[in-house]
Amino acid sequence: MIELLRPLPEVVWLVPLLPLLALIVNGARVLLGRASGDAAEPLTARLSAVAALGSLLLLLAIDLLALLEGVPGHRVIGVWFGSGPWQGTLSFLLDGLSLSVATVCAAIGWLVVRFSANYLHREAGFHRYFIVLCLFLSGIQFVLLAGNGLLAFVGWEMCGVASFLLIGYAWQRPVATGNALFAFVTNRGGDAGFLLGLGFAAVWLGSFEWPVIVGDNSLGVASARLIALGFVLAALAKSAQLPFSPWIARALEGPTPSSAVFYGAVMVHAGVYLMLRLEPLLAQVPDVLLLLTALGALTAFYAWFCGLVQTDVKSALIFATLFQVSLMFVAIGLGWTTLATVHLCMHAAWRAWQFLLAPSWLVLAGQRPAPPPAWLRDKPVLYTLAVQRFWLDKVSYELLVQPTNAFARDVRNLEEHFLDPAIGEPGKGRAPDPERPLVRADGLPGRLLAATSDVLQRIENRLLLQGRGGTAERILKRLGGYLQTLENLLEQPRYLMLAVMATFVVIL
Amino acid sequence: MLKILVFMPVFGAALIAVLPASRPALLWRAAMAFALAALAYALWLATQFDAGGPAIQMFESRAWNARLGSHFALGVDGISLAMVLLTALLTLIAVLISRRMENSARLYFVLVLLLESAIFGVFTARDWSLFYVFWEATLIPLFFLIERLGGPNRQRAALNFFLYTLGGSVFMLVALLFLYDAAPGHSFAMADMAEGGRSLPLHTQLLIFAGLFAGFAVKMPVVPLHGWLPLAHVEAPSPVSILLSGVLLKMGAYGLIRAAETLPAALLATQDWLAVLALVSMLYGGILAWRQQDLKAMIAYSSISHMGIVLLGIATLNVTGLTGAVFQMVAHGLAAGLLFLIIGLLYQRTHSRDLADYGALLGRAPRFAFFTGFAFLAAIGLPGSAGFIGEVHALIGGFGRWGGWMLIIGLGMLIGAAYSLRVVNRLCLRGPAMELADMKRTEMAAAALLAACIVVLGFWPAPLLALVAGSVDVVARLFGG
Repeated sequence: MIELLRPLPEVVWLVPLLPLLALIVNGARVLLGRASGDAAEPLTARLSAVAALGSLLLLLAIDLLALLEGVPGHRVIGVWFGSGPWQGTLSFLLDGLSLSVATVCAAIGWLVVRFSANYLHREAGFHRYFIVLCLFLSGIQFVLLAGNGLLAFVGWEMCGVASFLLIGYAWQRPVATGNALFAFVTNRGGDAGFLLGLGFAAVWLGSFEWPVIVGDNSLGVASARLIALGFVLAALAKSAQLPFSPWIARALEGPTPSSAVFYGAVMVHAGVYLMLRLEPLLAQVPDVLLLLTALGALTAFYAWFCGLVQTDVKSALIFATLFQVSLMFVAIGLGWTTLATVHLCMHAAWRAWQFLLAPSWLVLAGQRPAPPPAWLRDKPVLYTLAVQRFWLDKVSYELLVQPTNAFARDVRNLEEHFLDPAIGEPGKGRAPDPERPLVRADGLPGRLLAATSDVLQRIENRLLLQGRGGTAERILKRLGGYLQTLENLLEQPRYLMLAVMATFVVIL
Repeated sequence: MLKILVFMPVFGAALIAVLPASRPALLWRAAMAFALAALAYALWLATQFDAGGPAIQMFESRAWNARLGSHFALGVDGISLAMVLLTALLTLIAVLISRRMENSARLYFVLVLLLESAIFGVFTARDWSLFYVFWEATLIPLFFLIERLGGPNRQRAALNFFLYTLGGSVFMLVALLFLYDAAPGHSFAMADMAEGGRSLPLHTQLLIFAGLFAGFAVKMPVVPLHGWLPLAHVEAPSPVSILLSGVLLKMGAYGLIRAAETLPAALLATQDWLAVLALVSMLYGGILAWRQQDLKAMIAYSSISHMGIVLLGIATLNVTGLTGAVFQMVAHGLAAGLLFLIIGLLYQRTHSRDLADYGALLGRAPRFAFFTGFAFLAAIGLPGSAGFIGEVHALIGGFGRWGGWMLIIGLGMLIGAAYSLRVVNRLCLRGPAMELADMKRTEMAAAALLAACIVVLGFWPAPLLALVAGSVDVVARLFGG
């Protein structure tokens, strides 16, 4: 039995790959026009479910092996690319943390896929939904199992893209696409942090591997702080901690099962997971831990306070989720990582179930939701604050979006009035030579080229004997004229005789 | 073995000369047979060549004029073999597309075969006197080809070409005689002269090199000695332009590499100046090409620009640069051949070389459109075409020697892209269409053959690189590179 399990850590790459395969097959079916109508739905759903189940079973088997023989640890499967001293490897880190979280997430993923098959029956974007869901399942497993930051970042981005696509699932509605964009852009801020962390790690540590990033104690505090801050930024954005919180409330436009798996259960915990993964690094920089605690506490307050006044079930759930997640951040900040891990797994499972039930909640509860507490109702200022969610949306719009827009406008003006004419635009050029109307130049480089070519052409005309008033030709013509005269003279008998005689004189 | 290669086309020319002129199809078939035979024989020689073996192979020598010390010596190394293959291929193309020669087909085929023979002689001669004889022998068929079969300005172009090259080769002859005199041993054999030349003091070497360079620079051509080229290329009939641009120019570069073997100290001393000349040639040719609306003139000037890269590669005197030079010689031969082929066919149909007289070929003549686009993109040196490999090698080699100055190459490439894309834009993209009969089957075959060679060398340059590697090493070792 054990013998059979032992080679499994070597094929752990199958865990993220299986959903990816389902994605490819389903995508090909859609592209080839094979996926339309009711008849095609079961196959799509079944393929996705089988892939998700395959991932789950594989992880369970590896868990069993880990329980019996200890965790497999860091496995390098292959080299992705190498450039100088840096290597991007396909490596996986299988330890207690990654295996437990990945198993929970795979289980949730499989259940959600099964649930979605009925929930989305006869929806217009049925196949699209499953394709994106598979993308997400693959991405999240990359994040959780990756042995290095680079591979994790690939998964991180896959999750981001999948989240964007599912928020904008009902792309016909402008609100949905606007919210999708909002969530995506906010998350890009976190991605910048992730990249920053990776870049610093590459420069200072020469490696992207988690064990190296985490285990290197030789790093100075300042360097460690910068690396940690980069990843903390990524985690805050992904887990919607302050100041990034507003996006998650707007991310619920997608179909309910997707909300469950993204914002209720799995993706919202990715930031927490990243912090747990980097816990030894964070331990080196207590001030960053303090920051985490503070932001976590603030977010908890924010989520609790706003949650009090929510009137629809999904919003109420999302603020509850946010509250729990920020508690995990507080726990991490205080160093209680085991607690945070356990909290993460249990909260993910519980919240997935709650979110999936959300559409039937009214029926289940059988009564109206509780009104906001009296002390809040009586204080209009506090109440407005809660309803408006502290105007964070508005603040970010005023502070970031407006100035960016204005700046972009100015740059655009600059480009239109100065840069475009300077560089030259197609179809606007003037011909330096009126005889050759097709040879046209515009912009500074073009004019420079035209002027240079003018000079060179003049030189060329002189160099070539082909005329157009070239000096060489004039000289040659004059010389030719002299020779012609000489020849004419020589042709006359008297000069011919003279020449012959002269020759004889010379010979003699 | 090489004797057969050199004299087989002469035999063919003699045979065609006695065939009846009234049957052009028969003449074409005979010429094709000999051109094919020459290519097949050259390919066979290439299989016999051992890339890792001695520098000069298939060497044969017999005293020619024992008193003077000249030999009838033939032999090939990797570089000359590459050139021989290119010559055989382009001659085949030149014959292949001349199927519908309107008049004086017999004269044309005879002269082309004679020219091929002379060029083979130049590339395989292992004796400077023999080299000089073949060098001059190329002039005669070319003179008549341009003078008899060329465009409206043909007389002037032919005379111009003849005088320029003859003027250059007079200097070369004097330099060779000087070298013969200065070097001990009094032999014209390349190996002997190289040995003698290397031991000469620097100023003697410089003097001799100046003479040789004058001859080679006219042929290559290097600005400011390029005066013959635009006129000759424009006026020559298109198949002859293919040979002129594809092969004749390479004789200059090839001679320069041989001169580098003979006079290494002079090369080392003038290295930087050669690079300056190369960069000037490249920009000068490029800018003037950009200015031309006459398609043939444009390609003619672009040849100057591309040969500038070859000269730059030679000037680096290191393995990478020299490899780049040789590769670029082959690549430019193929690309310029394809360009002149296309332009020649277009000219045959429209009797105009002015870009303004052409419209979009896309709808009416898609094959033309495809090959025009392909040829111009290959001439830019797009990755995946043979030119890219050559340019990158020359660039890297030059970078090792002169660093940031190589940015000028980038500028040259940019200008090259500007004029090439102008033509592509006009002919190969949508726009006002023009009526044109599409390419015939033989024409397609010729163009496809060249295009295939360009792509194959672009994606799989290893065979050619392996072929020239040994010979390039021999040259580069003289300079400690």
